[in-house]
Amino acid sequence: MVEAAPLRIVIVGGGTAGWMAAAALSKLLPSRDYTLTLIESDEIGTVGVGEATLPHIKVFNDTLGIDEAQFMRETQASFKVGIEFVGWDQPHDRYVHPFGTFGEPWAGIDFQHHWQRARGAGVDVGDLHDYSFAIAACRNNAFELPNEDTKSIRSTYSYAYHFDAGLYAAFLRRWATARGVERIEGKVIDVVREASNGHVASVTMESGAAIAGDLFIDCSGFRSLLVGQTMGTAWCDWSHWLPCDRAFAVPSLRTEPLLPFTRATAQEAGWTWRIGLQHRTGNGYVFSSRFTDEERARDVLLGALDAAPLGEPRMLRFQAGRRAAAWAGNCVAIGLASGFLEPLESTSIFLIQAAVMDLINLTPTRRSGIDPLLAAEFNRLFEVHYDRSRDFIVLHYMANRREGALWDHVRNMELPDGLAHKIALFKASAAAPDYRYGLFSRDSWLAVLTGQGILPNAHSPLAEAIPLADLESQLADLKGRIDVNAADMTRHGDFIRSYCAAPALEPAA
Amino acid sequence: MKRVVILGRDAPLWLSASVLQAALQPAGVTVTAIELPTKLYQSDVYATLPGIEALHARLGLDERDLLRGTRGAYSLGQNFVDMLGGTPAFLNAYGGYGAPIEDKDFFGYWVKAREAGLPAGFEDFSLTAAAARQGRVMIPDEASEAYGRADYGYHLPAIAYVGGLKSVATRLGVGVAPANHIVVDRNEAGAITALVADGQSVAGDLFVDATGDDAALIGVMLGVAQDSWRAWFPVDRVFTARGPAFDPIPTYAELRAWHGGWTALYPGQATTHVVHAYASAQTGDEDALRSAGAASGLALSDAVLRPSDPGCRAEIWAHNCVAIGTAACALDPVHNLDLHAAQLGLIALLAHFPVGDDTAPSRAEYNRVMRSSFERLRDYQAALYALAPYPGLFWHAGREAAPPATLAHIIATFRARGELPPMEDDSIPFDHWRALLTGLGVAPGSLPPRIDATDDAEIAAQFRRMLGFVKETVSRQPTHAQALGHG
Repeated sequence: MVEAAPLRIVIVGGGTAGWMAAAALSKLLPSRDYTLTLIESDEIGTVGVGEATLPHIKVFNDTLGIDEAQFMRETQASFKVGIEFVGWDQPHDRYVHPFGTFGEPWAGIDFQHHWQRARGAGVDVGDLHDYSFAIAACRNNAFELPNEDTKSIRSTYSYAYHFDAGLYAAFLRRWATARGVERIEGKVIDVVREASNGHVASVTMESGAAIAGDLFIDCSGFRSLLVGQTMGTAWCDWSHWLPCDRAFAVPSLRTEPLLPFTRATAQEAGWTWRIGLQHRTGNGYVFSSRFTDEERARDVLLGALDAAPLGEPRMLRFQAGRRAAAWAGNCVAIGLASGFLEPLESTSIFLIQAAVMDLINLTPTRRSGIDPLLAAEFNRLFEVHYDRSRDFIVLHYMANRREGALWDHVRNMELPDGLAHKIALFKASAAAPDYRYGLFSRDSWLAVLTGQGILPNAHSPLAEAIPLADLESQLADLKGRIDVNAADMTRHGDFIRSYCAAPALEPAA
Repeated sequence: MKRVVILGRDAPLWLSASVLQAALQPAGVTVTAIELPTKLYQSDVYATLPGIEALHARLGLDERDLLRGTRGAYSLGQNFVDMLGGTPAFLNAYGGYGAPIEDKDFFGYWVKAREAGLPAGFEDFSLTAAAARQGRVMIPDEASEAYGRADYGYHLPAIAYVGGLKSVATRLGVGVAPANHIVVDRNEAGAITALVADGQSVAGDLFVDATGDDAALIGVMLGVAQDSWRAWFPVDRVFTARGPAFDPIPTYAELRAWHGGWTALYPGQATTHVVHAYASAQTGDEDALRSAGAASGLALSDAVLRPSDPGCRAEIWAHNCVAIGTAACALDPVHNLDLHAAQLGLIALLAHFPVGDDTAPSRAEYNRVMRSSFERLRDYQAALYALAPYPGLFWHAGREAAPPATLAHIIATFRARGELPPMEDDSIPFDHWRALLTGLGVAPGSLPPRIDATDDAEIAAQFRRMLGFVKETVSRQPTHAQALGHG
């Protein structure tokens, strides 16, 4: 049999999306069957969103065979076991969305039912959040790798990273180019399409060179050069649910202690993020231009810093939403070219990862060619990922008791299908959303529902299988195990120093 | 919600009564079962999927006792046979197929190797299927678990099984009231307040309709219609009958396709149960009965004829009435999934049992989840009719009908890439889908390219290791007679 020519995959755009795609494709696709080319221009800045990640990123890195300590050193990374929300229900209140479970499923029943039952019976059970080991670790600024013994309370969490997204992209670039991904420097100035079916045949570089391909991965960012501009795929606007449309970002000097969580603080017209890296702190203010002006927003951000800024705030413009489809013709959009969700729940890099892994499963082969049936499944999964992430983010906004025009607006808006039902179900019965595919898990929903002050009024009768007195002592024992073990943990900063201390880097913007 | 009243008969009634009583008694819930006259005959059989074991465990039903008491049998899967000979038989086993290679699904590797001339079939890599072929029962242990899932269900003669469930319910303290005539009391809002059973009023807070295709509460009283699934299911008549037991007793069911429908054989210890399904527009009842004898190769007796009218209740929980079993969703008879569907309904009812002042969200959630769960079962059943390559007008008509959109997408994705789209609320494991689709001749046009990163020698070595492991492990398993305690 004659060996067919390899399929040519052309990735348009570097940045986090482009290099994550390049790295994973070069690792997981057989090299004799595909050529990988990535076009990027050093003149085009990357957005570099998502310095904070979700635990899935570890699976991605592990799949690539990346050494964790090396990757953390080279990206100035820190660990993350949750996200702290400050002032989202009422000013100054705070809660953590942990990367871990709440309690234990006694008698086969989800923990929150037991907690609610005891609470309803007048037992002084405290907050649901007191029963999460990951939250206790956050409160102690502690971090250790999870215990492998699943019976230990120290196994009940996972972790993600904060890293410098620019350094991560550069890390993956070195990694991918070493594995044979060809990088072409330059700007794309034109797109040439097949007359027969409208597929993209090649992209034309400023130099005049034409880069031809069989499949194009559009990582061109907000520009969405191929899937948006060229293929004309429709945009689904979600700004009526997520009205924030601007962000100012600025780094500041690192402070002590190094926090093992991301912080998101509600502000008058949006929220500010705080991400502690080894060499600096990343900060930003996501805001709605309908509810504040840029000058004011800049001041709010600078006023929220806990250390001196390292440069002038830079502004980004965006709109919440996604493409009606991410795969159109022979073009697949990944990252900002496919949609945008504000980084409140660190979903950006997860959405890139999910799209990359789905594409690897469904990517054209020599035999399949460009098959719309494969695109249909890819697009179905793309919708699941985006829409479920969106609902979870909207939950933070709608359940607030803050003052201010933005907060009044989001409290009263009509909710996406299904979200109002999830909230009503939890209030009525303590049953938490529980689906198999897509973000977020049952425990994540529990964290934010209760964190936002949405509390159940009843519990499952199945919880009554445990006598109340036994339940009380089980709860006290669990809380004790969490507190004792968390108090015994290594400080996050100390752990980083011994595990993956990064070289001192000029902390620049 | 302290008083649950269940109206019904047969397995849906007694399964509901015993499961609800066992789970809710600690919460002070009382369960009353109002029993209507049975519609079961000696020839009826329930086939179960492996999940029933967990439900039985909750009820304290011991497997040995169950099989001894009902004279039922182990079932490791279902064998599909084309009686007209064109399509090779395949076994859809209640267990996994193969083991992952380099953390990637086995299936793609098998398809690829098969195209390159591998003689071993998909089922040769399944512990469960291989044990079934040898008349053995696959008992999982640590080594087999590391290889893949091995599991089994049962064939349970219906009358004896229902008798067993009724004793469980009684032992658990369910109140039992037999009745022939029922009057329903409702309040102004339309909710049911009491059932008057042969003149005696039984008040309740939540009512369960387990009346089967009567749908006496949800359909007749509350007027909730059944959305028809007729477009995807050609079978509208079903004979059940029984013949002599096989010796030795096979450890699997067998579906035999003939030109006008199919005949399923469910072996038991005392008798072989036969289900014979066809379309009345093509085959008369007398012809059908004759062909049931021919297809089964058995001298049949106790034949009972029933209609089949598949569809799903528009609302499965309406007002304060929850339908369980056929009253909720009338499935096609293929794969004998009725008990599985009843179990899904009960597990979801426990998860969303109405509590507190506002029960509307629990009802909405239950309806959403059950609708979706039933539609996935529908897709799995409809796949047989949409794809079966068997000759005859009956099968031809099935292939001509457009499948439900979700099933069309599943088939299209599988055809294009050998991948199964992950579907929320699908209770059928991927390997069952793969075995069914592959057995029916659906060949993936391409495969996930990741598998091409593994070199052929490594794949061949892994395959040899797997086949050796299956052979060696299965040879140590008990025969059916031994497993049933006869040997």
